[in-house]
Amino acid sequence: MTSISNKTAIAGYGATEFSKNSGRSELRLAVEATLGALTDAGIDPAEVDGMATFSMDNNSEQEIFRAIGGRDLKFFARIPQGGGGTLGPVQQAAMAITTGIANVVVVYRAMNERSEYRFGQPMHSLPPTSDNVIFAYHGFSGLMTPAAMLGLMMRRYMHETGATSLDFANYAVLARKYASTNPNAFYYGKPITVEEHQASRMVADPLHLLDCCQESDGGVALVIVSAERARDLRQRPVYIRAAAQGSPKGTVSLGGFYKDNIWPFDECAATARQLYSQSGLSPADLDAAIIYDHFGPSVFPGLEAYGFCAKGEAKDFVKDGHLEIGGKLPINMHGGQLGEAYIHGMNGVAEAVRQLRGTAVNQVPGVRNMLVTAGSGLPTSAALLGVD
Amino acid sequence: MTETTARGHNAPCSNRDFDFFYAGFEGEELLVQRCTQCGTLRSLPSPGCGNCSSLDWEPTALGGEGEIFSYVTHYHPPLPGFSAPHPMALVTMDEGVRLLGAMDGTDPDTLEIGRRVKIEFVRRDAVAAYRFRYL
Repeated sequence: MTSISNKTAIAGYGATEFSKNSGRSELRLAVEATLGALTDAGIDPAEVDGMATFSMDNNSEQEIFRAIGGRDLKFFARIPQGGGGTLGPVQQAAMAITTGIANVVVVYRAMNERSEYRFGQPMHSLPPTSDNVIFAYHGFSGLMTPAAMLGLMMRRYMHETGATSLDFANYAVLARKYASTNPNAFYYGKPITVEEHQASRMVADPLHLLDCCQESDGGVALVIVSAERARDLRQRPVYIRAAAQGSPKGTVSLGGFYKDNIWPFDECAATARQLYSQSGLSPADLDAAIIYDHFGPSVFPGLEAYGFCAKGEAKDFVKDGHLEIGGKLPINMHGGQLGEAYIHGMNGVAEAVRQLRGTAVNQVPGVRNMLVTAGSGLPTSAALLGVD
Repeated sequence: MTETTARGHNAPCSNRDFDFFYAGFEGEELLVQRCTQCGTLRSLPSPGCGNCSSLDWEPTALGGEGEIFSYVTHYHPPLPGFSAPHPMALVTMDEGVRLLGAMDGTDPDTLEIGRRVKIEFVRRDAVAAYRFRYL
């Protein structure tokens, strides 16, 4: 069997600033991020022959390609499920390069998700596609936003584990603490307190406003090449040790309410099994992680599903300070999507690259291997990244 | 989208896998699918049976009682058709399947996992619908 483990590497990344109003088109953001990633890697745009992104991205591959001066695009792939798909395009790139389909693949995500349209609003259900009729079925009772969908899952998690909103406050505060020293973050210079978290208004009880990610404009791109090529390039190669997708039995997009466990957990656990199997690594081998935080509380079942603590024990793991630098598993040192920005998790992949290169603002000393996860409560994806 | 008369209901977004569910409320019935091959009940509609893969099913009415498995109260942003705060419950029906339902008309602060509820058929403008109330 052909393995993708350690055959490819992230050779460069690029990002625009993150804002509430970028002042330019989404395509322009995608092109800026792409050119930034190519410059970072030291690769000429004419060499790009593959592109992978999210189904939800509004920027077509060929338009980015036209703008950067591309020559011969051979591979393009899109992955559904919004933020659940974050590491799917990375997996596509790794597979395409490992099999010789493409040599230089750009993975991108760019959006004016605050200034031109807004996520988190009641979902529009027409036309009656297979996913839309399910959103409409739940919307019939008033369940229409991702916050309410995750809130319903997390309420059950709280009931079964004893976790409370005060436990979730611990992560919300930590994310802003990291963000407060990150000049690219919305919460730069703006740490919060547990009391402020508790006093923030309810969005979908049990989720407070300060449990929710940022509506954001911005773009992030990665350049992925073979491991061999990456070693000859400008930056320290960040190897893709594993990349996987997970959608086990009973998974529904933000609506998996009909299986035994409705926590945002099963799809993460299914992805985790593949990652550890592909790479031969275990949770104990990981020095830090980016755990997807569309909603901060989802980090708790995420930590459990990826094997960093036992089921139901994340509240103690977090309370004991293990997510801090110096703890067992520092996470989301850029401030997460609660504190930095929400670019469908791609800004978290960029943070993992910085950590592994040793160039992050909140640097974890001696990071060798990291987990990066994607949105939970729906079909998901994740990757293990590392440096030699 | 097919005509309302052909679908038998006024729910806004449905297809031929889901029409029976909404049409049931017109006659004050809570319908789920029952696989005619293996007998498995399924609430979230699907053309196929997740247990035996059969495409053959029939609608079957539930008694309408169950207990709260989880719940959430929507506060923000404003919802079309509902006022805030808007409580909702995921209910394990006595027949074993789960069903999400609105609980408007009930104080959100009283919601509890394990509490018994019963379906109430309501109309929301032109649409025949349902919600849960405490037993």
